Amino acid sequence: MTTSPATHSAPSVGDTAPEPDGAAVRLTGLHKSFGSVHAVRGIDLTIAPGEVVAFLGPNGAGKSTTIDMMLGLTKPDSGAARLFGDDPAAVVRSGSVGAMLQSGALLPDLTVRQLVAMFAALHRHPLPVDEALERAGVTEISGQQTTKLSGGQAQRVRFALALVPDPDLLLLDEPTVAMDVELRRSFWASMRQFAADGKTVLFATHYLEEADDFADRVVVLARGRIVADGTGAQIKATVAGRTISAAVTGAAPEMVQALPGVATAERQGPRMVLHCTDSDAAVRALLAAYPDSHDIEIRTGNLEDAFLELTASTVRSDSAPRRPATSSRRTPPAPPSLTGSTVRSDHAQPSLAASTNGAAA
Amino acid sequence: MSMAANYTLISARTTFRNTRFILFTVALPVVMYLLFNNLYGDRTDGGIDVGSYLMVSMAAYGGIGATINAGARIAIERQTGWNRQLRLSALTARGYLFAKAAVSLLVALPAIVLVFLAGALFGSAHLTLGQWLGCGLALWLALIPFGVIGLVIGFLATVESAQPLTMLVYMALAILGGLWFPVSQFPAALQHVARALPSYWAADIARAPLAGQNIPPGGVLVLAAWTVGLGLLAMAGYRRSGRRV
Repeated sequence: MTTSPATHSAPSVGDTAPEPDGAAVRLTGLHKSFGSVHAVRGIDLTIAPGEVVAFLGPNGAGKSTTIDMMLGLTKPDSGAARLFGDDPAAVVRSGSVGAMLQSGALLPDLTVRQLVAMFAALHRHPLPVDEALERAGVTEISGQQTTKLSGGQAQRVRFALALVPDPDLLLLDEPTVAMDVELRRSFWASMRQFAADGKTVLFATHYLEEADDFADRVVVLARGRIVADGTGAQIKATVAGRTISAAVTGAAPEMVQALPGVATAERQGPRMVLHCTDSDAAVRALLAAYPDSHDIEIRTGNLEDAFLELTASTVRSDSAPRRPATSSRRTPPAPPSLTGSTVRSDHAQPSLAASTNGAAA
Repeated sequence: MSMAANYTLISARTTFRNTRFILFTVALPVVMYLLFNNLYGDRTDGGIDVGSYLMVSMAAYGGIGATINAGARIAIERQTGWNRQLRLSALTARGYLFAKAAVSLLVALPAIVLVFLAGALFGSAHLTLGQWLGCGLALWLALIPFGVIGLVIGFLATVESAQPLTMLVYMALAILGGLWFPVSQFPAALQHVARALPSYWAADIARAPLAGQNIPPGGVLVLAAWTVGLGLLAMAGYRRSGRRV
């Protein structure tokens, strides 16, 4: 319980997690329509125990519907959702999964403590009520009526309800909606503590920073499909790549462009700007070829841009392979796979600051 | 099953905490009983004293109203999203149904007891101890299908439509089932309708001990058929209630 927030980036399987097929979550070919609205259009996703995954997407991307199907609240039209290799309804009953649903769910005429105690009475091996209240940070408001809570407080009470089953997997549907900055910070601290025990977390969000800051892996949804899957850094690299800017003398752009890892190069005054597919290779090659290069800056693309571009591209065309957008930001050719196949890397969560302009060398 | 027992307790506590609702379920049948009793209570008709007959009818009327309304209240719970939360617990569809039916029966108890009490104190009901207990118990158990009717309404209706729909079903069952006017005064066609209704049989079964008769097995069969048929509908409703509203 005293682990620092940073330690959750090394996933370790919780010893209580049953995993007959090795995956905490396995979605195969999920489809769901509501009337004429095709909300989920073929989602395949595997989440290993211990991962912290963000479902990133705009409203209507199919995040909530997918989470509902993971919980057995909604039946898929086709495809299957399995948790720990089992049927969602059975896993819910066993208490291995806890979930925070969007809005609602708080009965009136009860105090927070009464509500949590009531929900705990409906589980086989619940967390002690005090502990659930404590972990969700609602101990101080446990005597308040559920109808008198602020939006953010109500969200934390829902988090307490999600912790009640003492789950190995948490599914959180836009957990920080209606929370102010302070509440949001302490919520993520609670969440990290949960994840630090090697448990699995999937949260839906449309806050880009949240996905980048708190998830090991970001799965981008748009129009009912997964359009990208990787670390926050990879998502950005996928779309925008990295840009190297350096003062280089005695080199023509065409020569620099020929270096490994460089997609395009252009001269901007005394500096050379390199759009890279692999900035590590590019910077090494640059320094080898032009040892007097100096004032080197490496810039990553902005996740917001990446997100907009990814989700916009599926609006333009639903099935065709994504092409680089013709925006002012120049993008490298041949982005890595964007169609649901995993592009995870093994290295730990990149600690990208909210401002994504990192400087190097 | 322990989850169902827990949920029965929880649900009963929240329902009974709503004192306005409980008062409403009790007040109407007691007042109506006293009114009718005042008008016809001292008559006898075919060897049965009308006072006792009226008392059982009004207790049935009150009990049916209480059970249907208790069930229909789940429309409110559904609206708050509580049913979605419940679906994330260890409670099964059958457990939920069992618990809600049990709560409906508990809610019916005050109505039955108070109408009987009014009959004993102010009315002209003269029953032996065995008849009091027999009538009460027979009526109480005969209310099971009405709890399930309420649940089905609660799953089908929205918060806004649950109240009028409940009232409609309640009144239709009460009138057509002969709780207000004896079925023997109905036209022949309507008498057939009455005999297919659970309300007719609930009152009939409850009156059997008055005349020293056995519980009619045909009536029990009708009540069981309603319970099973609507119970299946209600279970499907619970499974559907995980959807967002």
